[in-house]
Amino acid sequence: MKRVLTILFAIGFIVFLLAGGVLTAYAVGALAEEKLFVGASRLTNVIFLMLIFVMIIATMLTLAERKWSALMQDRIGPNRARIALPGLKNLSLAGLPFVAADSLKMLTKEDFVPQTANRFLFNLSPLLAFAPVFALFAIVPAGPSVTLWGQRVDMVVGTPDFGLLYLFAIASLAVYGTALAGWSSNNKFALLGGVRATSQMISYEVALGLSLVGVMLAFGSVQLPAIVGTLAAETGGAAAGQARYLWQWAGGAAGEGFDFGLPAWGIILQPLGFIGFFAAAFAETKRAPFDVPEGESEIIGYFVEYSGMKFGLFMISEFVEVVVLSGVTAALFFGGYHLPFGGEWLATQLKDSPLVYATLLGTFFWVKVLLLCFLQLLIRWTFPRFRYDQIQTLGWKMLLPVGLANVFISGALVLWDPSLRALALFGLLQIGVLMALSLSRKESAEPEHGPGHGHGALGHGHEPHGLPGGAHGHALPAHGHAAASLGGNTPAGAHAGAHPASTH
Amino acid sequence: MNIEQVLFGAFAFLTLLSAGLVIFARSPISSAMALVSTFFFLAGIYVLLWAHTVAALQVLVYAGAIMVLFLFVIMLLNLGDELPGSRLTFSRILGGGAAAGLFAVLALAIARVPGRVADLGTQQESFGTLKAIGASIFTTWLLPFEAVSLLLLVAMVGAVVVAKSRI
Repeated sequence: MKRVLTILFAIGFIVFLLAGGVLTAYAVGALAEEKLFVGASRLTNVIFLMLIFVMIIATMLTLAERKWSALMQDRIGPNRARIALPGLKNLSLAGLPFVAADSLKMLTKEDFVPQTANRFLFNLSPLLAFAPVFALFAIVPAGPSVTLWGQRVDMVVGTPDFGLLYLFAIASLAVYGTALAGWSSNNKFALLGGVRATSQMISYEVALGLSLVGVMLAFGSVQLPAIVGTLAAETGGAAAGQARYLWQWAGGAAGEGFDFGLPAWGIILQPLGFIGFFAAAFAETKRAPFDVPEGESEIIGYFVEYSGMKFGLFMISEFVEVVVLSGVTAALFFGGYHLPFGGEWLATQLKDSPLVYATLLGTFFWVKVLLLCFLQLLIRWTFPRFRYDQIQTLGWKMLLPVGLANVFISGALVLWDPSLRALALFGLLQIGVLMALSLSRKESAEPEHGPGHGHGALGHGHEPHGLPGGAHGHALPAHGHAAASLGGNTPAGAHAGAHPASTH
Repeated sequence: MNIEQVLFGAFAFLTLLSAGLVIFARSPISSAMALVSTFFFLAGIYVLLWAHTVAALQVLVYAGAIMVLFLFVIMLLNLGDELPGSRLTFSRILGGGAAAGLFAVLALAIARVPGRVADLGTQQESFGTLKAIGASIFTTWLLPFEAVSLLLLVAMVGAVVVAKSRI
């Protein structure tokens, strides 16, 4: 009972902190608009969204990853760093002193540069790895646009005309940091890690872009604020984007009672796009199960020669990428800052207190982001590492054809039924098939089924039954048949190698 | 002197500087990285020309995809620093002549540019946006666009055939 209360208190405390942050961000934005110049709230958003929210969540994730992995592996987790001050009673404080201890360790370590390294590029590459990832969050809207004290405040840093192209362009630059870190260290293992990282990131960029085309088609825009959409109660017109309902069962268009229905979220319209995007973006973060560039167990990492805070920059950029990926996924597939239902009702109720409304929805966005971060850590600590050829097979032979098929099917369905209901039915069918396949995995775990499943996914990429087969195959690398299904279309040597790798 | 001119000057200077580095850098990796920064500053100049989408595509395609492959190949081949040779070979003479010719053509073209830049007029709002570019690609310039995509397909098939002698 005490433990449940502690957990509930911790969750409440985190949500309270998020709400406080969002409230401050809106208030400061409105003040900046009033005192400085029109558009100054975008500058304060840089500080609040990118520096405070993303960086603090990323820093806390370094601790959360250890705590949550301990939870999953039935350990206690980090509790040795303590502060022996009279008031704190030498408590472990949920491991929080570890954040301070880690940063102190990183900052005070010797800054070592190998003698034969290319000094300039060696020093530059941590920055090249960190900067693009950090800049990615600029286009993600983290809260509704409201009018506070006569000033219009948007909770987004930039809304460029080319929208998601910014995401692809900047994300594709992150590879320079890793590639150059590997090369400039003048170390064979580092070079191997750098080459692995480069080939992995190039492979998955294609799938990353292709998997989002369906979302762009469905919502008819490349800009994230337009994809997130607006409520009818906010604009006065019809609801747009992910704020509207596909089927509404209760409540009127604006404020006539509590509205309830199936929202037009990206996850319902584009389940395959979601899986493809999530897998591809996961590969871009270079975390397990896609962590061959680092290979912590065999020490072939592109940052093997780095020490101190330079290594820290590589590490933190991974965590920042986790947060950014969660933010983008929340905005594209989980309705951004909108509630799944009851949004119109809430907007009508709080029409006279926009600050409360904006704070509530902004907090809801960050709660979604935290849940998606948790999902990513869950995946990272659940699945073993993919073999190198499996990574390439997944990227080129599964995600790419599935993404292409998804583009054509989504385009046809959007043209056929512009209300997106046909697309949603197709999406729900996909989700149903996926769930049925994942629930029925224990009965059909014979090794012979694996290659059949794999071929089904590769050969008939456009059929709803074939697609989840691919997801089924690669989602379970721990089972005997999954490795075989991944190697199903690779040369014989790789296929034979799949079996020993899958048994331990 | 307004902010646009200051930005143009900065971008132009940095473009020329990094383009010079591409030629004069000893190690191939430094050359490649200098080329990446050249593309970046060129993208900045595109933005000043109201071509935001082209700037984004420049970073996405050239800096983010093509140069990464260049870097990848250079890293795999592990090329060492190139020592400056003083010999006047045939290919160097040919390259120098071609560069001089290109310079002459460009100088002539720049000399013919009118002093006053044309007004965007009614296109002011939509010029250079993704929507306008997409519309013109898929209406006015559809045939060239498809021809280019066919060219890429041919290149892809050719690469597969060369890499895999037995399919």
